[in-house]
Amino acid sequence: MTMLPDAAPGAKRLGLVIDLDTCVGCHACAVSCKEWNNGGKFGPLPDYDKQGPEPDGVWFNRVHSYEVAADGCSSTVNLPRSCLHCENALCVTVCPTGASYKRAEDGIVLIDPEICIGCKLCSWACPYGAREFDEEEGVMRKCTLCVDRIYDRNLPEAEREPACVAACPTRARHFGDLADPESGVSKLVAARGGKSLLDGLGYRPTNQYLPSRRATIPAAPREATSGTGEGFGGALLRLLDRALSR
Amino acid sequence: MRPAGSILLLTTLTGFAFGLLAWIGAYAALGLLPAIPRLGITGVALGLLLASLGLAASMLHLGRMERAWRALSQWRSSWLSREGVCALLIYPVAILFAFTLRSGHDRVAVRLLGALVVITSLATVLCTAMIYASLKPIRQWHNSHTAPGYLIYAVFSGALLFALLHTALVGKPGPTDLIAAAAAAIAWLAKYAYWRHVDAQKPLASLAAAVGLPEDVQVKPLDAPHFTENYVLREMGFALARRHAAKLRRMALGLGFALPLGLTLIASMEIAPLTTTAVALACAVIGLLTERWLFFAEATHVAALYYGRGA
Repeated sequence: MTMLPDAAPGAKRLGLVIDLDTCVGCHACAVSCKEWNNGGKFGPLPDYDKQGPEPDGVWFNRVHSYEVAADGCSSTVNLPRSCLHCENALCVTVCPTGASYKRAEDGIVLIDPEICIGCKLCSWACPYGAREFDEEEGVMRKCTLCVDRIYDRNLPEAEREPACVAACPTRARHFGDLADPESGVSKLVAARGGKSLLDGLGYRPTNQYLPSRRATIPAAPREATSGTGEGFGGALLRLLDRALSR
Repeated sequence: MRPAGSILLLTTLTGFAFGLLAWIGAYAALGLLPAIPRLGITGVALGLLLASLGLAASMLHLGRMERAWRALSQWRSSWLSREGVCALLIYPVAILFAFTLRSGHDRVAVRLLGALVVITSLATVLCTAMIYASLKPIRQWHNSHTAPGYLIYAVFSGALLFALLHTALVGKPGPTDLIAAAAAAIAWLAKYAYWRHVDAQKPLASLAAAVGLPEDVQVKPLDAPHFTENYVLREMGFALARRHAAKLRRMALGLGFALPLGLTLIASMEIAPLTTTAVALACAVIGLLTERWLFFAEATHVAALYYGRGA
């Protein structure tokens, strides 16, 4: 069914909030995603020419790095890019078969690999490049928000989150219900001014990105610590400092 | 956007097929179809054959061909699904029309079925066009030129085919060659207007907007997620050199519209009408395939922005 579902009262809007201030661009989320989905309910994720000169394959998550310049300063911003589980998911409505669908209960956008005919139209309809074609199975693939993890009652409750969120070493990825204004992710978005990617296109993505902040804490002068200290302790520290600085 | 051979064949062949069916249907609906049932019946047969070839070519584009029937289910939301439904509707309508033609021309049934053939044929072409026109991430497609353009090129290519059939079966050119010439002129103008429009377009979005930053912030790609091309780049990062595009545009205009215009005018003056119309048709096939190739190759997708490519 490729009509977008009517939002049921009290329905969840599950998604990710990604903090561009703390993301260090380590690709752990992408690798962890690939590993989980290679074996999970939706696996395997194909790889082509694995050891050859042109390795390629299907990934649900790709991490870009950009140089951002504003007000005479430049900084690096790392942008993990995956399906944003949009409210106005054009990828769903263009699907001729009903394989692509958006769940009414939590807003997750999924593909039924048993129904997909591999016409690729959904990938053209996505402005975020979030859908990748599985050349081996002849069907389209995309991020499932680890739907086979987040509802798995066999997992301890703390682990019922997408693999990318669990893997992030800097806790830059947050998972939760963005329809609930009291949820942790909603509060984070409100506090930090969370942004939608390509807002002007009107897809109303669920996933939000927290912009990187400018450092406002003045750095203490570097020499101040080694020069201070009176008496024997201070002299010893100065000696040690000199010895180590050599 | 990567021009896929299967889709080029689909849209070009169905343009000729449904254009031809629309002309035959229109002639019948207006009671103008000459009293030679052969023309109508041969036209319907040729139209359905070309449409079948186009639809068969489009199947090659699918990753799971054996599931193609599933594409008929989502007509409530998907233009691709509507295209499939309309294309299949033409077969019973056109076959019924051809049978009714055999039993006389002035009957109301012929006129009504003729009108129905026109509606289903043009509706299919419109659905095809809307597949592209509805895709917001591609500015060269998501505009007010795409749908009228596809209809005009289909009506033009069908007019050429109809003119050739008319000359071949009736023995002399009718007004069909003049109609084809007029259609060529309109198609030429439509393509010219389309290129003027897309050349003046601004990029759909900036890399800053793609990254969720304010427009005044300068953003440059530093590291890509991968070193080799992936599906997204192959499919949506296709880039065509500007000077190649200019050459191909001239070729599309010349072969697709200018030569057919001149040749059909010559044919309408009864100067070797069969040969000139046939040459006009051959030129139009190559020209329209070039035009369709450019329609894809020159289209840019906003997702390519993430990799620092233009959109």
